[in-house]
Amino acid sequence: MLTPVGAGLPAKILRALLSVRQPALSLTSFAGKPAPTGFLLILLLCIPNLANAFDLQQLSDQLAKPSVIHGNFTQEKHLRALPQPLVSKGTFVLAKDHGLLWLLNTPLQQDYRINAQGIARRDANGWQPLPNKSAGAEQNRLFLAVLQGDSSGLQRDFELQLQGQAQQWKLTLIPRSLLLKQVFTRIDIDGGELVHTIELLETQGDSTVLRMQDSTASQPLSEAEQHDFAQ
Amino acid sequence: MPSERLLPRLFLILLVAVLALAGWQWRHGAPLSANLMELVPGSTPNALEQQAEQRMQEPLNREMLVLVGHADRQQALAMAQQLGERWQASGLFEKVQWNLQADLPALREQLLRGRLSMLSAKDREQLIEQPDAFIQQRVQALFDPFTGFSLVPSQDDWLGLTGRIQNSQPQHGSVQLDIGSGALIADADGKSWVLLRARTTGNAFDMQLPLQVADLLQTSRAQAGEQGAQLLAASGLLYAANGQRQATREITWVGGGATIGILLLLLLAFRRWRVLLAFVPVLVGMLFGAVACVALFGHMHVMTLVLGSSLIGVAVDYPLHYLSKSWSLQPWRSWPALRLTLPGLSLSLATSCIGYLALAWTPFPALTQIAVFSAAGLVGAYLCAVCLLPALLKGVELRPAHWPLRIADSLWQMRTALIKHVPSSVLLVWVLLFCAGGLWQLNSKNDIRQWIGAPPQLLQEAQAVARITGFQPTSQFFLVRADNQQQLLERQAALGKRLDQLVNMDKLQGYLALNQLVSLAEEQQQLRDALNNLAQHWQPLLDLGVPASALQAEVAQLQALPITDIDAALQGPLAEPWRTLWLGPVDGGVAAMVSLQGLNNPALLRVQALDLPGVQLVDRLGDLNRVFADTQISAAELKLMSCVLIVLLLIAPFGFGGALRIVALPLLAALCSLASLGWLGQPLTLFSLFGLLLVTAISVDYAILMREQIGGPAVSLLGTLLAALTTWLSFGLLAVSSTPAVSNFGLSVSLGLAFSFMLAPWAGQQKHTL
Repeated sequence: MLTPVGAGLPAKILRALLSVRQPALSLTSFAGKPAPTGFLLILLLCIPNLANAFDLQQLSDQLAKPSVIHGNFTQEKHLRALPQPLVSKGTFVLAKDHGLLWLLNTPLQQDYRINAQGIARRDANGWQPLPNKSAGAEQNRLFLAVLQGDSSGLQRDFELQLQGQAQQWKLTLIPRSLLLKQVFTRIDIDGGELVHTIELLETQGDSTVLRMQDSTASQPLSEAEQHDFAQ
Repeated sequence: MPSERLLPRLFLILLVAVLALAGWQWRHGAPLSANLMELVPGSTPNALEQQAEQRMQEPLNREMLVLVGHADRQQALAMAQQLGERWQASGLFEKVQWNLQADLPALREQLLRGRLSMLSAKDREQLIEQPDAFIQQRVQALFDPFTGFSLVPSQDDWLGLTGRIQNSQPQHGSVQLDIGSGALIADADGKSWVLLRARTTGNAFDMQLPLQVADLLQTSRAQAGEQGAQLLAASGLLYAANGQRQATREITWVGGGATIGILLLLLLAFRRWRVLLAFVPVLVGMLFGAVACVALFGHMHVMTLVLGSSLIGVAVDYPLHYLSKSWSLQPWRSWPALRLTLPGLSLSLATSCIGYLALAWTPFPALTQIAVFSAAGLVGAYLCAVCLLPALLKGVELRPAHWPLRIADSLWQMRTALIKHVPSSVLLVWVLLFCAGGLWQLNSKNDIRQWIGAPPQLLQEAQAVARITGFQPTSQFFLVRADNQQQLLERQAALGKRLDQLVNMDKLQGYLALNQLVSLAEEQQQLRDALNNLAQHWQPLLDLGVPASALQAEVAQLQALPITDIDAALQGPLAEPWRTLWLGPVDGGVAAMVSLQGLNNPALLRVQALDLPGVQLVDRLGDLNRVFADTQISAAELKLMSCVLIVLLLIAPFGFGGALRIVALPLLAALCSLASLGWLGQPLTLFSLFGLLLVTAISVDYAILMREQIGGPAVSLLGTLLAALTTWLSFGLLAVSSTPAVSNFGLSVSLGLAFSFMLAPWAGQQKHTL
């Protein structure tokens, strides 16, 4: 017999299923993904695994050597309408097996952590995971893929171009997908033994420059840092 | 006799006329419909409710949701892309979407335009009441690498209102955007599922489209399977396709089975090839039924055809009436045999028509169609059996087999022997005890779901899609009416407060209401006023280097934004989920819907609308189930009324006592059937009741046959047995239908027929004047 489409249990299920007509909504969640800078930080972690061409493999090996990197960072946000950039400074700890601590000191103090569980922000009560909005989870996935040595995600989304030598190189990432192209024009990464600067150019004309200074691979994780990663 | 020559000719003229009418009706192809909503009672008297209902239904009948699952995300994406391209090329779909073609400029424009009207209540309150905190959060966000970047560049929105609007959009389900491909992906059961949405060119009630879509899905499923991927699909179209296939299958089974069975029975009993001509009235009956149905309703439903195919068994009873006289009437001649049985035939037609037409007064359009189809069919079969068939059988000498008569004879003797030992009155007590015991155990069950013969696989798949995407649908929704938009939003907000409580208590997953998209005019004004004072608090932004002139210009720009009404708010891509909810100006006021997600307890919903003016819960399922229950009572009343009518009809030939007795037997048979349902543990449904309603009418015929006893009790019993057998062959086969409603119907008719046959000998004996 015929089924009364639109009535009964299947219809119930169907109705809501079909209300997935929310491309716009999903887009906002995309927009609500971590900021370009956040994206950069993840790229930073990705680099050791960008193995494909011979040069990329070399770079990958080179960057994969240190297990812990400590350093200072300066973030400059260049907004088209502002005469001078928004500058913030702090320190970071990148641990191969644990993740990344991003500790902002000036002009305000705020600690972030990215690891397998996602992104967390520290408040008075300890680490608080940031709401795992869809693209946040996506980023998390990318991050995990990278930690597991799977660079396919990054290679799928970006076209990679490497120039220079081991002691001074420049990696350019150009987004492939239409969606990403509407947000980023290009991402440039400069470095030698370690990464020096990351520059992200947004389609709208703003850009962000991250400078990693005094990076050192000689220091192991302090107890406090281990504690931060452990929680 | 002249009538023997005239009648066949007249009938042939009529037949040609009806055939011509049928040809005209079918000139544009088969006037068949598969829309099941036509068959359930129209319980919605209100045009607005109906409009709202249709708005909610529309995507169900046109869209298909498919999840392409693979353990490897890339494979899943590649498969989805392949599938999307192939489906788009198939020409069945208006649009196949597997990735988002994001229109960022339009989004930006909408966000900027909606900065005052779309701001969430929480953010609005913070800006108005704690402007310092508001500014502080904005400063943090500008440095924060993780708070999310806005679609709108900072210099166009220093206050960060668009970012807040983005983040406060309701998030449904667990579908995520894959930023690389733009696909929507959910992770579950160790697989990545890419969401694909297809919108068909027609709807589920086209006759061809659902089948084509289902076939395409099946092919794609097989192809996906070869590549290790899995497809899950949910759509009203699939139910429609399944329903159509099932209907075709069942028409073949019921119609074919009944036909073969009846033809075999005719051959075995009468041993003449020409006796197969007795099937001509059946065909004529079907023709008359179909023509009447199309003439009255404009089209015929496939379900009418399924249930109507059971008419075969009833229609063949007319020729059987006089064919079975060949056992007693030797030599048998067609016209004399007809003349002998004509009064009984006519009575039988009248009682059966009364029974069928009683179905027409139930509020079920499906049954009205079936009643018209059957009544017209019976009239056609009767006319053919009376006018044409005797002419066709002229010159046939029937020498029926003896074994059926021997069976009937021994049955009759067994009965006589039984009555000798146990008097009828004692038997009646036993029967009544049996009835009482059965009725005690009888449960009533009525649910719209009985109409659904959906295979569990379709249901499971739809449930899996719901689980993986996190979209948990409800068919209920609220309809909110008001004098103007302002009042409408206020009423929705009042309802929203109650629904929020349900959401907090985990009784409801979420809801969608227009007041989430656009705030009240006065709230927009409050924001404007608060912006006037913001300059006293924005020093931290100035410290960052944001020029004061830029901030002032932005405030001026915000204050110049016009007050947004619902129509304006619905422009732009962000408003898409809400667009269907707006019904616009109606009856001098305005109306909109509030849709719901993931409801645990439907009973809670009804309470939510209490004391809220203009708010009404539309619960079509619940309403329908109530209609079912109400109809059960009215069906019982109809049954009694049809009995009264039949008694009145039978008083003339049989006298009051005889008429009462003839009608009492089918009623007792119906009671026994009810009791049997109880003993069998089968629920009493509306459809079993309809079946009994029908069987009363048909089995009055058996009581009449037995009471008239033309040719002796054994011959009459044989006639009754043959009639019951043919009827059972067609109705009984309905019991195998996979639609609960139809199979219930078949079961109760089968039981009713069996009891009617057993009880018919107690119809007494009529003194014949013939």
